[in-house]
Amino acid sequence: MSFFNVIRWITWKDLISEFRNRENFSSMLFFALIVVLIFSFSFSMDQTSGREQIPGIIWVAFTFTGMIGLGKSFAAELHNDCLDSLQFSPAQKGAVFIGKFLANLLFLLFVELLLFPMFVLLFNLEVLEKLPTILVIFLGGSVGLSAVGTLFSAMTVQIRAREVMLPILLLPLAVPLIIGGVEATAGVLRGDPFLLYAHWIRLLFAFDVIFLVVSFWAFEWILDT
Amino acid sequence: MMAIRVFQVSKSYRYFQALREISFEVPPGSCYTLFGPNGAGKTTLLTILATLQRPSSGTIEILGHDGVKAREKIRPALFYVAHGSYLYDELDARENLRFALALYGKRVADRELKEALDRVGIGAFSDLRTRFYSAGMKKRLAVAKGILIRPKVLLLDEPYSSLDESGMAMVNDAIRELIDGGTAVFMATHNRTRSAEVANQAGLLRKGKLCPLGLEQLSGAHVIF
Repeated sequence: MSFFNVIRWITWKDLISEFRNRENFSSMLFFALIVVLIFSFSFSMDQTSGREQIPGIIWVAFTFTGMIGLGKSFAAELHNDCLDSLQFSPAQKGAVFIGKFLANLLFLLFVELLLFPMFVLLFNLEVLEKLPTILVIFLGGSVGLSAVGTLFSAMTVQIRAREVMLPILLLPLAVPLIIGGVEATAGVLRGDPFLLYAHWIRLLFAFDVIFLVVSFWAFEWILDT
Repeated sequence: MMAIRVFQVSKSYRYFQALREISFEVPPGSCYTLFGPNGAGKTTLLTILATLQRPSSGTIEILGHDGVKAREKIRPALFYVAHGSYLYDELDARENLRFALALYGKRVADRELKEALDRVGIGAFSDLRTRFYSAGMKKRLAVAKGILIRPKVLLLDEPYSSLDESGMAMVNDAIRELIDGGTAVFMATHNRTRSAEVANQAGLLRKGKLCPLGLEQLSGAHVIF
């Protein structure tokens, strides 16, 4: 019971803190909007060329926006030495990880849900029928990104150059997720039959499971080191 | 069984030896006060006792458990009030207390929470986010955490700093109550007069070496460092 209670409290604490100061969310959203606008002005897109390029643009926006949020996830714990209290408290470190991961995932999904209609409007996408599949793909990519990002955020939080180190560590590992996300999204937007891109979705969720399990087990060691 | 048993503990960083073969014991229901000039190693010793750092050599036992190998058994019984307040700025006092208690797997009734806040003199500010608290109010809230968690081992780093006279008296009342309940208190402080009111043992840490002090040296006009 205590394990789930800790998860609930950590997630609640992160969400309520963010809701009250909006520092993280506003910087994530602002960055994402700028990315979308720059790309929309850079490419004169008709429906055909858009379908080829938009998946990459979407996942670039999601990945880099996610990194802003993930970078601040554990940096916030440094204030008032809160990270120390998480370390010496008897709370299971795995529960702390899951709590932080859930909060990061919810931030990212929320920003994605706000951002995607912008893509639809600016790039003139027809997605209404494909929306459930697209949301599943977004969920798959976001879970993996949040899992490995939460781990690396904890790993780099004590490093002076953490803003530089987080992308250096995170991006190479996130490549399979990004590729999977881009290919699956491209398949959906092209209107391909599901079976043609289903393996990319399976890849996304396979990486989600791997990243979640590895991050969960590694987190205690990282927090105590 | 001793609540805290430290034997021949040394801690060295790359070019600097912070602690040199320190040994002492603190029985349950008593208070050990540690003095020493700035940079003597007091906080290093406290962080080792709080399981946040490992000693370079020597052994630490908390409640009969090895301080390095059995940290998971020690942590539920230990609470550390450090320089940092361990408070989340966007949460109010009640939320901060509930969060801290959740990490210890504890839940308290609203009435008990209110009593603890009233007792430390911040009951009137319990709905205010702690980002608006003064350093003294944050210290009082940290003491309220200690009162509610009721640890078997309480570690205090400069518990009287930032507090007015009534605040210092309140800290001593809380320490006395915890000692009566069997808690072992280990504190590092510069306030000889206040700590003399609750101390059963005292020591002076200088250049990483510990010398026992007589209690009469705390209340008199002796220059101890």
